[in-house]
Amino acid sequence: MTRTTILFVSLVAIGFIIATFDVRDDGDGVANVMREGTQSIFEPMQKAADWIASPVIGFVDGVSNLAGLREENERLQTRLRQLESQVLETGAVQEQVRQLEAILGIEPPAELSTVTARIYSSGPSSFDNARFIDKGAKDGVVIGQAVIDEDGLVGRVDLVSANDARIRLIIDPLVSAGVRVQSTNETGVVSGRGDGPLRLEMFRATASVSAGDLVVTDGSRFPPGLVVGRIVADAAAEVGFVLRAEVEPAANLSQVDFVKVIIGWTALDADLQDGVVDTSVSTTTTTIPPTTTLPSEG
Amino acid sequence: MSRSRVAIALLAIIASLVIQTTVFGASGIAPLGVPPAFVTLVVIALGPYVEAEYHLLLGFTAGILADLMGSGTLGLWAMSLTVVAYASSRLRARFNEGIVLSATLVFGLTLLGQVVFVVLGTLFGQNLLSDSSLAAKIFLPALWNLVLAIPVLLVLEAVFKQRDEGWAV
Repeated sequence: MTRTTILFVSLVAIGFIIATFDVRDDGDGVANVMREGTQSIFEPMQKAADWIASPVIGFVDGVSNLAGLREENERLQTRLRQLESQVLETGAVQEQVRQLEAILGIEPPAELSTVTARIYSSGPSSFDNARFIDKGAKDGVVIGQAVIDEDGLVGRVDLVSANDARIRLIIDPLVSAGVRVQSTNETGVVSGRGDGPLRLEMFRATASVSAGDLVVTDGSRFPPGLVVGRIVADAAAEVGFVLRAEVEPAANLSQVDFVKVIIGWTALDADLQDGVVDTSVSTTTTTIPPTTTLPSEG
Repeated sequence: MSRSRVAIALLAIIASLVIQTTVFGASGIAPLGVPPAFVTLVVIALGPYVEAEYHLLLGFTAGILADLMGSGTLGLWAMSLTVVAYASSRLRARFNEGIVLSATLVFGLTLLGQVVFVVLGTLFGQNLLSDSSLAAKIFLPALWNLVLAIPVLLVLEAVFKQRDEGWAV
């Protein structure tokens, strides 16, 4: 056996041991400290590279999308008209809700504090569904908080350092979320598949779901009422009341540049050992209505 | 093996990691939704310029840094890129037989790295086989690396040539 082969076997063995310990620690412990340290070292270089490359990437995107721009423009104008009419309808409904709440003495839904963050880098491979944002513990971000954009749920914070944080997208195979199908009000669990639609499983379903039905978070792991996506195709419960369907995420995860971290709500099972949220930091406040709806496509 | 060669190789790996996570990152350049495996490409391309043992160590270092910058299990890319560096070092003589053959080798070795990563990821519970775009995520990075191989190989050749000439003077 040559020296090169011995070194090769040794390095693979070391890698195997590191991976085994990381799996045993569930990604915590020394590995997390090393991850935070590495990210802190690379962060300035990544931000500089992102700043330099952004115009070039924008130009490449523009050129590659030139053919579809006219069609996209027409589609967006149609959607804008739909949304404008919906805003008017929603305004009237909100006023009715406000009046009913006043009559019945019901407290309106609590406002959720959010911080806006910019995604400046991602994981190092196409299998990695991590994104790094430029807000961290100093801004009130802690592990477990939900991350949204204007369309819906994007992911969950899973690593935090002082100035930045890592989010894991909802399409990651290791991420799942408790959800409710708005049309039937029945609950289930969506889990990621690495790419494309999410997998929805409902274990006590009695009603069927239809293509286009809205799926929102049920409040178990993420704040209730966040839009997750829409059912892709009709599905009915099978033997034993198990219903399986696919959900197309509402957020366009390949094009997300800015996100909001909901810092005013954290799941009970989130790891809060890193400390108490600093409420003195500057934040914006967003009301996320529990019955947020998206316009139907086409 | 001079220190300056290793230093250049390390700088190339650090630069490749920054480029991979930004230019070829989340909102960066990803044709058909899948970016190139740029770190793998640079690890392969360094093969002709460093000794086999150093090449293995550079592959392992690049991999462990990629693991630390990602969200997966630590050590998976370290093992994958060590395998790529080992296979690459066994084929290093072939890299002198023309740029077309070199680019083809880059394609094959990238494919090897992606497959090894998926196998190891599955063994360590990363659930990669359930990925709905698994085939594309294995094949497309190798294809993009085939395209990027020529400029990367030429740039590295120029850098190491300049370093050797500068050293001679």
